[in-house]
Amino acid sequence: MPAATDDNTYGVQPPGLDFKDSNTIPLPPPKHFQPSLRYPSSRKTIYDRNLSRPSSTTSLASFAYIFNTIITYHHAKSGSVSEIETRLNRAGYPIGIKMLDLLLYRQSGKAVRPIRLLELLQFIHGALWRGLFGRAADALEQSTSKKNEYMIVDNEPVVNTYISIPREMSQLNCAAFVAGIIEGVCDAAAFGTEGVTAHWAEGDEMWPGKTIFLLKFQEKVIERDEAIKASVG
Amino acid sequence: MVVFALLIINKAGGLVYNRTFAPGLQKLDSNDYLILAGTFHGIHAISRTISPAPRAPHPPGTRPPPTTGIETMDAGRFRLTCFQTPTGVKFLLFTSPEQPNAEAIIRRCYEMYGEMVMKNPFYSLEMPVRVEKFDRVLGGYLVRPG
Amino acid sequence: MATATTSKASRMGEEIWKTRVDKISAEVLTLTYGTLVAQLCRDLTLPNTASQTDYLAVNAELDRMGYAIGLRLIEDFLAKSQNTGHCSNFREVAEVISKVGFKMFLNVVPEVRGWQGPPAGEEGAGGPVAFSLVLEENPLAEFVELPDDGRAQDELWYSNVLCGVLRGALEMVQMQVEARFTSDVLRGHESTEMRVTLVRYLQDELPADDD
Repeated sequence: MPAATDDNTYGVQPPGLDFKDSNTIPLPPPKHFQPSLRYPSSRKTIYDRNLSRPSSTTSLASFAYIFNTIITYHHAKSGSVSEIETRLNRAGYPIGIKMLDLLLYRQSGKAVRPIRLLELLQFIHGALWRGLFGRAADALEQSTSKKNEYMIVDNEPVVNTYISIPREMSQLNCAAFVAGIIEGVCDAAAFGTEGVTAHWAEGDEMWPGKTIFLLKFQEKVIERDEAIKASVG
Repeated sequence: MVVFALLIINKAGGLVYNRTFAPGLQKLDSNDYLILAGTFHGIHAISRTISPAPRAPHPPGTRPPPTTGIETMDAGRFRLTCFQTPTGVKFLLFTSPEQPNAEAIIRRCYEMYGEMVMKNPFYSLEMPVRVEKFDRVLGGYLVRPG
Repeated sequence: MATATTSKASRMGEEIWKTRVDKISAEVLTLTYGTLVAQLCRDLTLPNTASQTDYLAVNAELDRMGYAIGLRLIEDFLAKSQNTGHCSNFREVAEVISKVGFKMFLNVVPEVRGWQGPPAGEEGAGGPVAFSLVLEENPLAEFVELPDDGRAQDELWYSNVLCGVLRGALEMVQMQVEARFTSDVLRGHESTEMRVTLVRYLQDELPADDD
């Protein structure tokens, strides 16, 4: 396709479609964006800095204080345990979107986005967990009854290190924040979900904080995966 | 050598935590603990202010030096070690009289408090400490099997 | 300058960081703090607008949140730095905040600069007592750029939570201070600096019945 000139960038006619009969009005071209941010003269802008290696370490305590602040903020605005979890999920979601790009950018060799469902799940279980928490997750499982449901298990989520849930809210699992991160990764990788949620795996004496992240993929994602599988044999 | 019990008293003198760690101890009811905490808090405050000992030098404008009150109290059947944090929280450890390193033990308890109580988003400051992970780590450190 | 305090505090901070601090990738902190600030920027809007952030309200909220953190963080700080000893003047306080506190919690050591006030130990001589912390690195703001809306760079103090943390933590050890940012590379300034001013030493709290 020839490069679009300034005049027909907007309202450009896709091949095979005749606009003459329709009632569309071409959008006006947007004003040219003029950045107005100031930068210190002595420093590089964020675009000049090295993004390839992960930054240094900091204290888990500082993360905990900020995470607690987020929990307290949403707790105060919520009427139920499920609302707190939904809000924590939404707080984590944008982190997932960024982490996908960041981790792919840092992959050695060519950055390849996960195409198959299993690749995505292994990416979350391995690369994402290592990028966030310095270790892989503890297990990856498929639901025996529903083929669109998968589970990622963490015996002791780092984000819950210092958190004790009061008895009256015992269902609450603040790792819903991590579930939101996972959901962000799935969406950004074009594996739409019907939600990712965090649940206590009750009854494990050894790991009282064991958490199951339940990933429910949309049917069309499963269908697509099966179609790819069929086509590559 | 036995660690009998730990009490935590908040800035205002309220008992916010008490727990025993050894088998075969006398059972005190919660009222006894409240009396113990309240009375000790008062005596501790007096020990910080009323005494013939000369005051620590404190030039005007400098930061006042900390005044520690009672640090240990010995009795025939037990020793009470008191550690007051610079923020005004008191940790009281009841041990057998021959228990060594009581101060190190109490400081370790303070560390656990800083970790598991203060970093728990559901704990309200100055309120009774009902924090599962604090109970767990403290138990792992001090409980003797019965 | 209190060089003995400085080097002792440096050693202390290094040792605590190495041996007693649980760690996490700094990126996780950066991203998590980022979602908090972004959330506030969405939630706190100017009256009669749906999407114009009230940046001054965001600054105030971050400071308030930091204060609540400071009230708690101080116990972890004191418990882990139990051999630091008592600071008898504000210069020592400055050194310990920078070399032990910032090191322990953020793994950075801001430079103490811009000392104002009488010589150490004569802080009663009058006049303000203050210092600046210069953050060469700021883990809260790595790879952060403020919204290009013509206002954020003039109004938002992105890392304002730190001011509240210092205010809350020091209040718990009987020091009333004012803390505020005076510059931030995110605003296009050449450095990121906080100014900490001693308001007064609070009297050691005594039980009410002693009055």
